[in-house]
Amino acid sequence: MDGSLLPAIQEPPIKKIKPSTNMTINFYLNEVTSSKTPLKVVLNDDISESLPLIEVYTGHIQNPKDISKTVLLLNEKLPIKELQHLKRVKKQDIFLCPITYTNEMTIQEYLKSLDDSFADIFDSFAVIHVPKQPPKLKKQFEDTKEYWPCNFHPDKYLEKLFSDNFFTQEESNMHRKYMYIALLNAKWYVMNDASIHDVPNVTLVVDPIIASVVAVATDNRKKHPTQHSTMLAIDNVARTQNGGAWSPDCELDEETMIPNSLLQCLKAEMPEINFGHRKFKSNRVTDDNNSGTENNETSSLDSPYLCTGYYIYMLREPCVMCSMALVHARAKRIFFCVDNERDGGLKSKVKLQTVSSLNHRFEVFTGFL
Amino acid sequence: MIDFMRQALELAKSALNTNEVPVGCVFVRNGKIVAQSKNSVNETRNPTRHAEINCIDEVLNYCQDRNIEYRSFFEDIIVYVTVEPCIMCAAALKNLNIKEVIYGCANDRFGGHTVIDVGDIYPNSYSLTAHSHAQEAMDLLKQFYKGTNPHAPQEKVKKKKTKQDEEKL
Ligand SMILES: [Zn+2]
Ligand SMILES: [Zn+2]
Repeated sequence: MDGSLLPAIQEPPIKKIKPSTNMTINFYLNEVTSSKTPLKVVLNDDISESLPLIEVYTGHIQNPKDISKTVLLLNEKLPIKELQHLKRVKKQDIFLCPITYTNEMTIQEYLKSLDDSFADIFDSFAVIHVPKQPPKLKKQFEDTKEYWPCNFHPDKYLEKLFSDNFFTQEESNMHRKYMYIALLNAKWYVMNDASIHDVPNVTLVVDPIIASVVAVATDNRKKHPTQHSTMLAIDNVARTQNGGAWSPDCELDEETMIPNSLLQCLKAEMPEINFGHRKFKSNRVTDDNNSGTENNETSSLDSPYLCTGYYIYMLREPCVMCSMALVHARAKRIFFCVDNERDGGLKSKVKLQTVSSLNHRFEVFTGFL
Repeated sequence: MIDFMRQALELAKSALNTNEVPVGCVFVRNGKIVAQSKNSVNETRNPTRHAEINCIDEVLNYCQDRNIEYRSFFEDIIVYVTVEPCIMCAAALKNLNIKEVIYGCANDRFGGHTVIDVGDIYPNSYSLTAHSHAQEAMDLLKQFYKGTNPHAPQEKVKKKKTKQDEEKL
């Protein structure tokens, strides 16, 4: 790093602005505050897209009296763990198994190989399509009905999350205000750094518990290949917790870790916004067998830990590296304005928030413009 | 030939001694180590300070000190890391057009090849090879998971200590 990220403001900077970049930012600033479109969650494919189907065998039962004992026998001899959302019975038809189960055998031979008493129960078999995954939304549940009866457990939160009014008007305005600050931050850099020609990405970190901006950072990848705004913002958050790895290349406000001159500008433009973080209380212990006293537990509970509980506002969808960094940091919600078609990690190329083996999931929202 | 994976494992061990998730990494160029580091997440309270990210910073300093253009420098680097790079580190290394990555054990939770293949997104992919020291790298991780991570909030440590620690890979 050569320390030139933030050259001192010389001369009236206005004249140096690249007109098109500035117009872009002004357009965004206007859109972000005036647009009436609802902020929308970035959809999981298994929720947004039509239900995937799978081919299964069904058998028709001759005598309705045999239904309950057959179901019991099937649950014992042929349980289908991956399709537990499917009910076993539809009138006199019984769901048996995916067609892949029988290998080279016919379904009759396969059932007989499991238990002899299957032999005389069914008078005919069929191959049909059924939903491969459990329905998650009411609408999906409706769609399953034309295929096969499914179990469905409605999830109120999920229904709301996928609706257009997940956020109240007041909440929406607040999210748009934080995005506006992120844009102001970009504008400030464009005006003050002659080497920036495009709108730089900005990451703004907010602690919703105290409604305050905790950290902010601007892309610096031209000088340092991994210093994307997210990576810098996460390091600035670490700095508010007595940590941090990168040395700042300009003077930062001690409370907010925002460059002093930028902070003054933001505070002047947005006097109603709070800047600063909850007090960090260390729970660092030297003794590994520490039993965690009463005092110790309270302090670690209300002390910030990584980005747990924090909201992240970004101008552009983060790249794969930055998206995974946000998983590691355990951010709570990510908001972004513009898609990153090249290597976006939350919508465009992959949706890390839907990868089930990553055990931290956050919610991702867009739709500011 | 120098056993670079051995060196990476030594770094992982020293991470374990300071209560970090034991992952070590060396960057090698023309048979010479140009950077070596270990996980420093707890020390920095920054969850992105993985061994690979630290090594990238070391290389940048190395290049700056010698007035070398870093972009082409990275393209000749072979990375030896005790655990398969996570999605974040894999993306960072691919963006730098690293030549090759050789890892000890697979990373089932966060691996940039095992969990999702970052190579599908960044086409100029490095070659990725599993190394024979897998067991040793895995044993170090297991040793770490057995203990508790003293830096996580107390309440969470109690409830699910192994999960917490694994998240730091
Ligand atoms: Zn990025
Ligand atoms: Zn990593």
